[in-house]
Amino acid sequence: MAAEKKVILVTGGSGLVGKGLQHVVEQDKRADETWVFLSSKEADLTKQDETQAIFEKHRPTHVIHLAAKVGGLYKNLNSNLDFFRDNMAINDNVLNTSYKTGVRKVISCLSTCIFPDKTTFPVDETMIHNGAPHQSNYGYAYAKRMLDVQSRAYHAQHGRNFTSVVPTNVYGPHDNFNLEDGHVLPGLMHKVYMAKKEGSPLTVWGTGKPLRQFIFSRDLAKLIIWVMREYEEADPIILSVGEEDEVTVKDAALAVAEAMNFKGEVIFDTTKSDGQTKKTASIVKLRRYLPNFKFTPMKEAMKYTCDWLEANYDTCRK
Amino acid sequence: MAAEKKVILVTGGSGLVGKGLQHVVEQDKRADETWVFLSSKEANLTSLEDTRAVFAKYKPTHVIHLAAMVGGLYRNLKYNLDFFRNNSAINDNVLSTSHETGVKKVVSSLSTCIFPNKTTYPIDETMIHNGPPHSSNFGYSHAKRMIDVLNQGYHTQHGCNFTSVIPTNVYGAFDNYNLEDGHVLPGLIHKVYMAKKEGTPLTVWGTGKPLRQFIYSHDLARLMIWVMRDYNEISPIILSVGEEEEVSIKEAAMAVVEAMDFKGEVIFDTTRADGQIKKTASNAKLRRYLPDFKFTPMKEAIKESCDWFVANYDTCRK
Repeated sequence: MAAEKKVILVTGGSGLVGKGLQHVVEQDKRADETWVFLSSKEADLTKQDETQAIFEKHRPTHVIHLAAKVGGLYKNLNSNLDFFRDNMAINDNVLNTSYKTGVRKVISCLSTCIFPDKTTFPVDETMIHNGAPHQSNYGYAYAKRMLDVQSRAYHAQHGRNFTSVVPTNVYGPHDNFNLEDGHVLPGLMHKVYMAKKEGSPLTVWGTGKPLRQFIFSRDLAKLIIWVMREYEEADPIILSVGEEDEVTVKDAALAVAEAMNFKGEVIFDTTKSDGQTKKTASIVKLRRYLPNFKFTPMKEAMKYTCDWLEANYDTCRK
Repeated sequence: MAAEKKVILVTGGSGLVGKGLQHVVEQDKRADETWVFLSSKEANLTSLEDTRAVFAKYKPTHVIHLAAMVGGLYRNLKYNLDFFRNNSAINDNVLSTSHETGVKKVVSSLSTCIFPNKTTYPIDETMIHNGPPHSSNFGYSHAKRMIDVLNQGYHTQHGCNFTSVIPTNVYGAFDNYNLEDGHVLPGLIHKVYMAKKEGTPLTVWGTGKPLRQFIYSHDLARLMIWVMRDYNEISPIILSVGEEEEVSIKEAAMAVVEAMDFKGEVIFDTTRADGQIKKTASNAKLRRYLPDFKFTPMKEAIKESCDWFVANYDTCRK
């Protein structure tokens, strides 16, 4: 029996995770899969008519929905309303257009920063709605939570296979290395690059004590592809390294310094805030499905990413 | 100094609460207030265009936003997606158009059924987002909760004065008396009417033990008008009789029996589900503002509601 042809549309396809997917599908080409990577240049997904037009153009059977309005702490703090409304619009347009055009499966992307601010650890998939999110980005957080509500509602009312994934801190090539807006690992890599160039110390913000789980973009991509091909639940699934692989920001900084052969001093600016001390997420659910999945060792993934930054410094996003 | 003229637009103005407001403003006419009661016949608020047109027509300075897609248990169970999407669209259209046209205040209506399913009692205004709502109407509940998120966002980002109220079980003239779709008190009133007419017993579903706080639509209306004129917080406020006024379904049934002079047998069909045993809401916040507000005695309010039903049986909603 010939496998049914799939056309997989990836919204937000030019970002960190999109590029990870592009890399993995190149290495694992399947005859029954056509992949389309969309960027915001091609369609403004906050607009229903543009979303409709792009679906008509590509006729996807599957959608991996990564597109979102994102930003760092300060951008979120000042614009919670816009982060809520724009992401609600994007999400409603993508899911509704997918439904109307008969898309078989939509995998949306949530994130661990949407979990309740006051919580016990580790967090797991059942806890997403158990309390208000952190005040700084509640607009973004609630919009993402409503992706889970909508996915389950499309499933309950129409039997659609719409679901969502929850990655922890992602890193890899093609990240956003901007020091204000970006996340912790790309920020550290950019800082080490500058410190090397200028012969200055590396200054890490905070005490270095907070703990994080980091997932390499290519590992995340492999797992998202597995979800797209095999995961049938409407409830979300956390995609991350295990709790035992949590590292401190200090250890992450030292790993970046080693990967980039940085010989200077490492200082911790304890006047800067640490953010959350822990965000530990459980991957018990993932391990029930994939007990043998092997993550790329962090040292290797970091080296790869740092080398990429040095080779692409001029053109990368910063 | 002349008081600034107010034009108050009431969306969902032809329903139970809207009619309560109409009654109260007739009795308490103010020279500086013009009231406009909108119904869905005049504008489809799920359409942004229609919403903008109706705001352009009436140019409101204030909005009391009651319009929503509502339904009983079975309808919610079947259409959670539509309840979520339609209510999200209505709410976003009304609030964004209010912001765009410089409306000074919007008072939206939430409801106690949106609170977390697993909770301690009494519930209060701070607990709305503290856990998932009951699964039967999760679409409706999440959409209502997002009104509070939007209110906060509009306030922080644009300084808008958008707030919300949380009534408990409302009853009164012009209710929905449909036995499948309606709520408990109008259902009992309709059943007693039928039992009298047909000379049968009154069958109350369940054990009669669950407890509820009932608020008369005229009292709710007076409180909503107070909120519109004088309540300046963005956080919601529960509008209800106190915890000490909670009555059992059995007591409510007997009050209807007495008001309608029903002499037949009253049976409790314990094969039917009871629903939640308690939903006790605290009105401590309301009492801090209005320690002397007097609610209409339940016996009197039920009598008025029953008399209205009997007089209007042919034309009422059922």
